[in-house]
Amino acid sequence: MSEYTVINSRAVRRDTPDKASGKAVFIDDMSLPGMLYGALLQSPLAHARIVRIDTSKARNLPGVKSVVTAAEAGLIKYGVSPARYDETLFCHEKVRYVGDDIAAVAAVDLETAIEAVSLIEVEYEELPVVLTIEDAMAEGAPVLHNEYPGNICAEVHSEFGNVEAAFANCDLIKTTTFKNKRQDAAFIEPQGCIASYDHFGNLTLYSSTQVPHYVQRTVAMVLKLPIGKVRVVKPYVGAGFGIKASANPLELSACLLSMKTGKPVKMNYNREQVFQYGRARHQFTHTMTTGVKKDGALLALKHVCYLDGGAYSSFGIATVYYAGSLLGGPYKLPNMKYDGYRIYNNKPACGAMRGHGGVAARACWEQQLDMIAEELKISPIELRLKNMMVAGDVTCNDLNMSSLGMKECIEAVQNGSEWSAKKGKLPKGKGIGMACGFFVSGAGYPIYRSDTYHGTVVIKLTEDGGTALVYTASAEIGQGSDTTFAMIAAEALGIRLEDVRLESGDTDFGVDLGAYSSRQTLMTGHAVKEAAEDVRQKVLEVLSKELNVPVGEMDIRNSLIGFKQANVDFSGLRTRYVKEHRGWTDNPTDGPLTFKEAARMAYLAIGSIVGTGKYKPHELGGKYKGAAVGTSPAYGCSAQIAEVTVDEETGQITVDKITDAHDCGRAINITSVEGQMEGSVSMGLGEALFEEVKFDNKGRVINADLAEYKIPTMLDMPEVKTIIVESNEPNGPFGAKEVGEGAIMPTIPAILNAVYDAIGVRIHELPLTPERVYMAIQEAKKGKKT
Amino acid sequence: MLLPKFDFHEPKTVNEACQILAEYGAKARILAGGTDLMVNMKKKILSPQQLVSISRIPELKNLEASADHIRIGACFTVADLCESDAIQRHLSALAEGAKNLGTPLIRNLATIGGNIGSARPAADLPPPLMAYGAQAVLSSLSGERTVPLDQFFLGPGFTAMKPDEILTEIQVPALPASSGAGYINIGVRKAQDCNLVNVASFIALDAGGIIQNARIVMGCVGPIPLRARSAEKILIGQKPDTALFTRAGAAAGSDSTPIDDFRGTAAYKKDMVGVLTRRTLDIAFHKATHRQ
Amino acid sequence: MKKLIHLTINDQSFEVAVEPNQTLVDLLRYQLGLTGTKKGCEMGDCGSCTVILDGKAVNSCLVLAIQADGRNIQTIEGLETAEGLHPVQEAFVEKGAIQCGFCSSGMILSAKNLLDQTPNPSDTQIRRALSGNLCRCTGYQKIIEAVQSAKTI
Repeated sequence: MSEYTVINSRAVRRDTPDKASGKAVFIDDMSLPGMLYGALLQSPLAHARIVRIDTSKARNLPGVKSVVTAAEAGLIKYGVSPARYDETLFCHEKVRYVGDDIAAVAAVDLETAIEAVSLIEVEYEELPVVLTIEDAMAEGAPVLHNEYPGNICAEVHSEFGNVEAAFANCDLIKTTTFKNKRQDAAFIEPQGCIASYDHFGNLTLYSSTQVPHYVQRTVAMVLKLPIGKVRVVKPYVGAGFGIKASANPLELSACLLSMKTGKPVKMNYNREQVFQYGRARHQFTHTMTTGVKKDGALLALKHVCYLDGGAYSSFGIATVYYAGSLLGGPYKLPNMKYDGYRIYNNKPACGAMRGHGGVAARACWEQQLDMIAEELKISPIELRLKNMMVAGDVTCNDLNMSSLGMKECIEAVQNGSEWSAKKGKLPKGKGIGMACGFFVSGAGYPIYRSDTYHGTVVIKLTEDGGTALVYTASAEIGQGSDTTFAMIAAEALGIRLEDVRLESGDTDFGVDLGAYSSRQTLMTGHAVKEAAEDVRQKVLEVLSKELNVPVGEMDIRNSLIGFKQANVDFSGLRTRYVKEHRGWTDNPTDGPLTFKEAARMAYLAIGSIVGTGKYKPHELGGKYKGAAVGTSPAYGCSAQIAEVTVDEETGQITVDKITDAHDCGRAINITSVEGQMEGSVSMGLGEALFEEVKFDNKGRVINADLAEYKIPTMLDMPEVKTIIVESNEPNGPFGAKEVGEGAIMPTIPAILNAVYDAIGVRIHELPLTPERVYMAIQEAKKGKKT
Repeated sequence: MLLPKFDFHEPKTVNEACQILAEYGAKARILAGGTDLMVNMKKKILSPQQLVSISRIPELKNLEASADHIRIGACFTVADLCESDAIQRHLSALAEGAKNLGTPLIRNLATIGGNIGSARPAADLPPPLMAYGAQAVLSSLSGERTVPLDQFFLGPGFTAMKPDEILTEIQVPALPASSGAGYINIGVRKAQDCNLVNVASFIALDAGGIIQNARIVMGCVGPIPLRARSAEKILIGQKPDTALFTRAGAAAGSDSTPIDDFRGTAAYKKDMVGVLTRRTLDIAFHKATHRQ
Repeated sequence: MKKLIHLTINDQSFEVAVEPNQTLVDLLRYQLGLTGTKKGCEMGDCGSCTVILDGKAVNSCLVLAIQADGRNIQTIEGLETAEGLHPVQEAFVEKGAIQCGFCSSGMILSAKNLLDQTPNPSDTQIRRALSGNLCRCTGYQKIIEAVQSAKTI
């Protein structure tokens, strides 16, 4: 029996009945009176100087209300991290990738807007195009941004301990190089927004975003508006996975066009534009050298990584840091050296995507650990358990594993998959493999340097009726955060879930950094809990005075007031309440004092009952440069076991089953935790087997659709067995921490290790398409013959 | 994604459709299931001025199995092919192709005529149909003619159809008793995939169990679905066994002319032709010896 | 030039004027306000625009509005009755089969269409029948569980 009345259960999500019946409103379902439609002119060339832009024909087209270019938008630089603001709303001197934004049009309908875009004349002077890391770093390569010579967007160099000295003591040193491919998040709802500027100079932006707060700041900064005049509202969002975690040109263009025209302006990306905008997972090339003792003890990791960044920074600085820092755990690793480089080239920018920066690194290393285990004749599980950290351990780069159910996760998947009965006993063509991983439970610092709270929450009781209204600017993007926070509020306040109403995703409700870095459950959750406790205290204080009972001797549970003493006489309060509600058929008659009555009395005594909550992390470890990326109040972790069948004649892989255990601290909504685990596995499986954004030699995406960019269908997904391992995270609300991203970490390496188990060939490049697997098998056969 | 502008025609008879085509010729395009054409029009690859929908011509939706032919109307949907007992019983390799085409949502719209008429080198239905020796029936105001599918495809998107003709029907000749066919396609994922390679094989045995006739058709490895002629030659007159099928597979690989593209290399496709040829021959042999 | 068409949507008759180049999904969403039908790719790849057309689940982004003349269409809005959500919708809600919800309309209609034709589908039949509806959030596991539970209702 749970000690909780609301959390740690399977709650039906409050948004899903509307989503099941088609009533839930997403951005493209909205329209406003007099709304105009916007369209973007985007560069057809990957690298070119803009010689001349002539918008006159477009402006003269009937139905066109505004045409804007850099001349109208200004040249204020923006981006994700203030350290690398390298974008302007519209290109002014040159274009840097196919899809770079040049102009925007607002017109009476979409057809007219698109036609107007086609009438804008741009004269380009083509520049040499660089599409790969190698070309971009070559001597004399064309430079994308003058401020960044050599096309090096960012580089990181760090060393913890002394790697070379440690290698001298190692019995086995192993080096491998691994490469993933540029991914697309392939959320099903393309980005879209509606901007509406009113006569008082207030701008409201409705947008499919994960981060209303950051969008608000960027819009205000770029368009030079007082931030108090900018409101960002998020309707239901068809997922984001990191790509909707920063302001985009659609949002900025729509705002500018609305300001120019005084009308609401709607803009959407089509699917091709979603791919062209990019901002999803980078392509990483990792070279890792790991040194171990004969008994399997990990001593040192030397790691070099190159990130194929695309034309702008986006989240890239954080990405290049994460790619190194997230290998600090979950194994005891005393020495770690990292050199990371993020390189610009003429492709769409890459950014943050589920498992930010850590997924390919984890895949590379966990496969290498299996290779080491094999050479040392230690089982992969034993090697991992031998080196595993425990709760309270701190990594060499100062990440504090304040809770860590890693060992429990390994045992859970071992049992759940019947590993021992299968490992080493499967016929050729069938394989089983495992891997571990962990991830931050919220970035320790905001994207811009600030002492801001990461989340603020206001809970107000309805003046009558005892319903708690929760206002949070956090972003429900499909992960179930609204329900999670309603549950936390109900639990902390002591009322039933149905007595909570929650509104979210609106910058007018406060500050919340939004849905990224798996931060909301822990961070917003804390703020919700604090606000609920504040409300609870206020109600109890009034009751205390009215009934002359100390606050400490009262409790609220299940929307009822409990008293430690017997025979507390609250009949006076009840009589007052009932008198106020004459004619009502649901007045309390006998039984315990209800929260409804107590809340009404509190209002009558002191006015509206409003509680506030806030959260920012306590001081986190790490004083070195870059310590802000990777440090977090808590870390979620997981282990997975993949079982596969490989058709060795064709190279086709079938994933038969995935067993996944995740330590999410205390599970608030069990169903939602499982949902995040299953979704993570599916995204990892896609990246492992199918996904790659491909370009032609002119920098154009050649598979900018969901037919040729292949995400898993229902037929590709195996049964996923999820096992929740609960720890009690000391820094989490009710002990809760992340699940949304950590759960993707082990999927790719578990599949890689299972494929090796099936065919006896190691593959160090993704995706594992039939052709890549087949060719690897052929190569290995050739190798054996010679 | 807005569609370009066009005039829309929805004839009720083949003759009416032929009249419209006679009037507009190459400016017109036939709309059947739309799963290919709508996409090409949205991408502005095609912008026909006249669109002639043939989905309200009842006779084009018929399936008729007689002693000497199975006749499939051009607007018979791919979903119908999957579900039809007659197709399953007589043309199982075609049913297999149909089951692997697109998605259930696409199969409910897409038609057999469209899958052939669009002449995509990776299409699922042409290889099994060619393996069964099917022919296309083309109608115009000047009458009807039949073209063996072997001669129907001219290049990606190009066929022997003239601008004023409509593909009205696919005819598959009744198959000899001891015959069978198999179809296998390979893609990257398990549904909704453009094929990397697809192969259909047909064999007919004589009373002594010797291969009397063989047709092997390879998709994705040439501008049109290709016959593996030298592989067929290897088979004819021989007693079927795995070694023979492996040799035929190797020959089929040599018969194929794939190119490197973003979906895969020519080398891989060639090797897969070999594997799929052997595997489809295994299926075909099994069917030939287990047919009712 | 616009043409007047007659069609039945969710058992209600409509008479609307449509442009030949207007797709069915755009008619439903922008002209008739039935925004439960979503647009995810507009190329027939994602299935979020699934409607049931004369008893068959199809991508409404690949059907011209004008082709729907005289035909019967069921959209997600047509499933709920005065008694509440349709059993398939109810199962999706109960089993946690909905996350962002953008694919849900199409997914639910494909599932309903399957159950109408095959009341007791196997796991494989469910996976096949719903393989044209992409979901990036759930990994499909709970969707399959929902369809399995709906079939027993």
